[in-house]
Amino acid sequence: MNPAAVGLGLSLGAAAVASVTALVCPDRVRPLLVGLLAAVSGAAGVVAGVAGMAGHRLAVTLPDLLPLFGIRLVLDPLGGLFMAAVGGVAVAAAVFGIGYTSPQGRGGSGLHRRAFQVVYPLFVAAMLLVPAAASIGTFLVCWELMAVTSLLLVLAEHRRRPAVAQAGLWYAVMTHLGMVAILVGLVLFAAHAPGGSFAALRDAAGELSPLVRGVVFVATLIGFASKSGVVPLHVWLPRAHPEAPSHVSALMSAAMVNLGVYGIVRVGFDLLGVGSRWWWVLVLTLGAVSAVYGILQAAMSTDLKRLLGYSTTENMGLVLVGVGAAGMFAAAGNQVLAGLAMAAALLHVVNHAAFKTLLFLSAGSVLHATGTRDLDELGGLRARMPATTLLFGLGALAASALPLGAAFVSEWLLLQGLIHGVAAGGVAFAVTMPVAVAAVALTAGLAVASFVKAFGVGFLARPRSAAAENATESGPTMIGAMGLAGAACVALALAPTVLVPALAPVVGAAGPLLDSPAAQGALTLRLVAVAGSLSPLLLAAALLVAALAVVLLLRFVADRRTRRQARLWDCGAGPLSARMEYTATSFAEPLQRVFDDVLAPELDVDVTHVQESRYLVDSVEYRARVPDRIERRLYQPVLRLVDAWGQAGRGLANGSVHRYLGYGFYTLVGLLVLLAVTR
Amino acid sequence: MTGVLVAALQVVVVAGGSPLLVGAMRQVRARLEGRAGPGVAQPWRDLRKLLRKEPLTPRGTTEVFRLAPVLLMATTLVVAAVVPFLTNATPLGPVADLFAVVALLSLGAVALALAGIDTGTAFGGMGASREVTIIALVEPTLLVAIFALSVRVGSTNLGDIVTSTLHDPALVISPVSLLAALAFAVAIIAETGRLPVDNPATHLELTMVHEAMVLEYAGPDLALVEWASAMRLAVFLGLLANLFAPWGIASLAGPLPVAVAVAALAGKVAVLGLALAVGEVFMAKLRLFRVPELLAGSFLLALLAVAASYFLA
Amino acid sequence: MTDTAALSSLSVQLLYLSCGAFLLAAVVVLWRRQLAAIVRVFALQGVALAGIVAVLAVEQRSLELALLAVGVLALRAIGLPWLVRRAMPAAGPARETSPLVNVAASLLAAAVLTLLAYAVAQPLITLSPSPVTRAVPVGLTVVLVGFFVLITRRRAVSQVIGFLLIDNGITAAAFLTTAEVPLIVELGVSLDVLFAVLVLQVLTTRMQAAFGDTDLDDLTELRDT
Repeated sequence: MNPAAVGLGLSLGAAAVASVTALVCPDRVRPLLVGLLAAVSGAAGVVAGVAGMAGHRLAVTLPDLLPLFGIRLVLDPLGGLFMAAVGGVAVAAAVFGIGYTSPQGRGGSGLHRRAFQVVYPLFVAAMLLVPAAASIGTFLVCWELMAVTSLLLVLAEHRRRPAVAQAGLWYAVMTHLGMVAILVGLVLFAAHAPGGSFAALRDAAGELSPLVRGVVFVATLIGFASKSGVVPLHVWLPRAHPEAPSHVSALMSAAMVNLGVYGIVRVGFDLLGVGSRWWWVLVLTLGAVSAVYGILQAAMSTDLKRLLGYSTTENMGLVLVGVGAAGMFAAAGNQVLAGLAMAAALLHVVNHAAFKTLLFLSAGSVLHATGTRDLDELGGLRARMPATTLLFGLGALAASALPLGAAFVSEWLLLQGLIHGVAAGGVAFAVTMPVAVAAVALTAGLAVASFVKAFGVGFLARPRSAAAENATESGPTMIGAMGLAGAACVALALAPTVLVPALAPVVGAAGPLLDSPAAQGALTLRLVAVAGSLSPLLLAAALLVAALAVVLLLRFVADRRTRRQARLWDCGAGPLSARMEYTATSFAEPLQRVFDDVLAPELDVDVTHVQESRYLVDSVEYRARVPDRIERRLYQPVLRLVDAWGQAGRGLANGSVHRYLGYGFYTLVGLLVLLAVTR
Repeated sequence: MTGVLVAALQVVVVAGGSPLLVGAMRQVRARLEGRAGPGVAQPWRDLRKLLRKEPLTPRGTTEVFRLAPVLLMATTLVVAAVVPFLTNATPLGPVADLFAVVALLSLGAVALALAGIDTGTAFGGMGASREVTIIALVEPTLLVAIFALSVRVGSTNLGDIVTSTLHDPALVISPVSLLAALAFAVAIIAETGRLPVDNPATHLELTMVHEAMVLEYAGPDLALVEWASAMRLAVFLGLLANLFAPWGIASLAGPLPVAVAVAALAGKVAVLGLALAVGEVFMAKLRLFRVPELLAGSFLLALLAVAASYFLA
Repeated sequence: MTDTAALSSLSVQLLYLSCGAFLLAAVVVLWRRQLAAIVRVFALQGVALAGIVAVLAVEQRSLELALLAVGVLALRAIGLPWLVRRAMPAAGPARETSPLVNVAASLLAAAVLTLLAYAVAQPLITLSPSPVTRAVPVGLTVVLVGFFVLITRRRAVSQVIGFLLIDNGITAAAFLTTAEVPLIVELGVSLDVLFAVLVLQVLTTRMQAAFGDTDLDDLTELRDT
């Protein structure tokens, strides 16, 4: 019996049952039942995905279910990896949702309602199906199902906050424009192939002219990049991801964005067979720009979930740097380095899925407990929410590319690929690789700053508002879900020696031009084809030993009196108040000044003078806002243009039914005349 | 087995010698400024005094505050054991390469920054904010400099880099080495908080970076922070010395080569430290917002080193 | 082109060292704000250029090149800096206070220019790959950096230095590609440069007298509107 088939069947079945259950069961138990069934669906998805990675191929064809091409599912190792990642995120998010959406929760979020709970399992199922789709029709249907269900979920809280509706609008427009781009690309591709199945496309790719191949690639790249939140198509992401309910944010930010990467790899490497070098230089450039821009905006954000959303853009950028480098190497015929870079990118996808789930769920826990996402109002959560604090800290460590964090391993692997890439030959490599390394390094440095800010200002020190002061720890299911994600982070950080060899068939499935990265060693990750080794496990052990040694040394050498609590010294100043603390805004101020030219922040200083004298200041008001500059420069003009066009179009519609019918009539007649004339 | 012994010896040498390095630098500074100076061993006496004091925990702080000095010390100890200071065949070589070493040292700095925020004082937050800004900007320079060094070796493994320079001494005056060394030196000055980036002797609120973060520490905790900071300085200087001029390092195990290596390391680090101290006498601290210029310059040098390593090879 | 394959490893390293110093000087010109320091660095660049020529001279046992090295040293390390220093306004601001592109961004731009120069020079190098021609991009980079200084710096003295950087870069590239610039050509070029500097010096002094400043943006005031 094929475990992949069982897993996928069970997964889809559980999702369907969950959706039906949500329709029929009463409010009280709905979150629990839907959550459990969705978790089962996710877990079965993990099983199917891992089975797919292990080489259990699955091919299902249902020709009658859908017109044109029918439903065609094939699970190969590449799809398996993404399916497993989606499944894993879905398990944690679903368990979290049990507590998060329960009607007994604080403030009654309204998320236990039928409309939300019915759609949720469908979203999970759609995401699980995308990496298994093996024909254009199937792929597009699953993709659109995923887009629509996620849009509905984003809009869940639109009655409570007006920002949600706006975010939903941005998301709806961007995701559908992306969909159109993918559609154009794939249909153009299919027009040159005997059929719409991926196998047929793969065979036909060789005969395509370079121009058609390039157009297909760029069109699909636009669509997939917009789904991954890659600059400059990222504008919807920092709006929609924060405004969605937190476990949906986790699903979108940790699972859905990966599918954009999946699309690029599937189309670019597998179907089109790597193609020209400029494609991948483009991908690498987009990735590097996204990484730096995303993390820079994250470093400036004071909204916790917006920060995490921008960090998603950053991480997808890093993944694309890896994918782009892999494509460049593959186009140059260097299979070893191509495999290495691709493995780094895929490892980062998995790591990002784990830590972003954890971070969004923890942010949800904070939001649930305090009702605010504004870092400037948080603080002091350590004493009130110890488990959430610990787990967020773990996630922040994983996200900031420091040792003992998950991202460190994948970024290390990525840097190894880039460094050895200089020798791959050609000026193109000698110029792009150092720049890419610098971009990755700057990203890593700024990620440290962002997450020190998020964790330090958000959770440590003392509370900055009454909401943070009165926070209480979240319930057991939410903590449990975060713990699950946290355990995944720790496992990924310490045991890459297990995962990296398992990536070999996945990389192999991405195309014949990639060599599977050989890595060996149980404790030490030792690259085979190029020099390089790292052992996170031994490093962790060494750190632990060193820390113990330090503590023991203190025991023997230092004073043996027990620790005494004392007043904060603070240079002898009076008692502290929360208003004296550094806030997230002030924390990021030096960086904002350094990157002044890039960020173009809007600063307003209003000084009100005392009426009697201009020399005495009554009050000073300081406002700083860091707008998304790309949105400002690129999208606002387009929006204004669309708006003007719409205004002009209003003249056509004056409300007369006759007129509307007349438009149709004139058009019909006109067409017929055209036909008659051109014949 | 001998490898483990040498690694342990490295830790002991760094831990024991680093306060003396700081003492010597302060002494040189004092003499150049016309003061008598407290003597080279003064940092050791300070440490002894601090260790004997009662441990205090400021009210309202969390474990982060208490664990940060331990983590800072632990990361520094691990780095001291891993880096090829005395022999280029350390048994821990495959565990961590140059990237990992640099990242470990940042981890310690980040722990201290979090502790600074954790106090909830304005000074702590200010110091943490500035420190983190500097870390973020130093990272590209460091990594690109590492890139330049590892291109010609084809590996980021520290032992390999050191060995290749040992085999081909002419590499030392190649532009790659010189440019990378210069970039690395600027990055080290920024990372260890020396002039002109940060003044280790100041307690003026407008200018302090490192000191602002550790203002609330007292007693044994402060001793750990001070000691670890001294060790970080020694480790960075030792790294600079051995990456670019690895002479004297022991290629084979045995008491005599190792003793020579200890002497060579002490000599090289002392020379670098004294040069730094002398330089500091003649330098003023840069404004915080001038620091990016300095780091952009060193980044450019690192990038030039990479370009040179490819195009002039 | 003489037989450069016979270059010993040491002289290759020395050549590259001089090239590195040559390039570094251009970078430092971008970095520093103090006009006096910029002129000093320019003098050091002249020394480095003379070093490049000297290494080539020793390698090729060429007396002509050795004479040229001495000439380069005299003109570019001593003569021109002295002239520029004389042009420096006695009372005017001695600093490049606000360049049109700030210093950090200038340095990053220089990084991009370097990579560009290396990428562009590749066909030249593949024509006759040798250790000497590999260093040609250094000359090209200095030309580009000099141009960048010209378009972004406000003070007249910085402009002169930018112009001289371009000239230094061209000279270096010439020596590195052909290795035997005829003495007469070099003399002619040097004379040209000398005149240009003299003219600029007069201009600066006049400007100083007319505006009390040497900010070249003030020249826009001369335009009819």
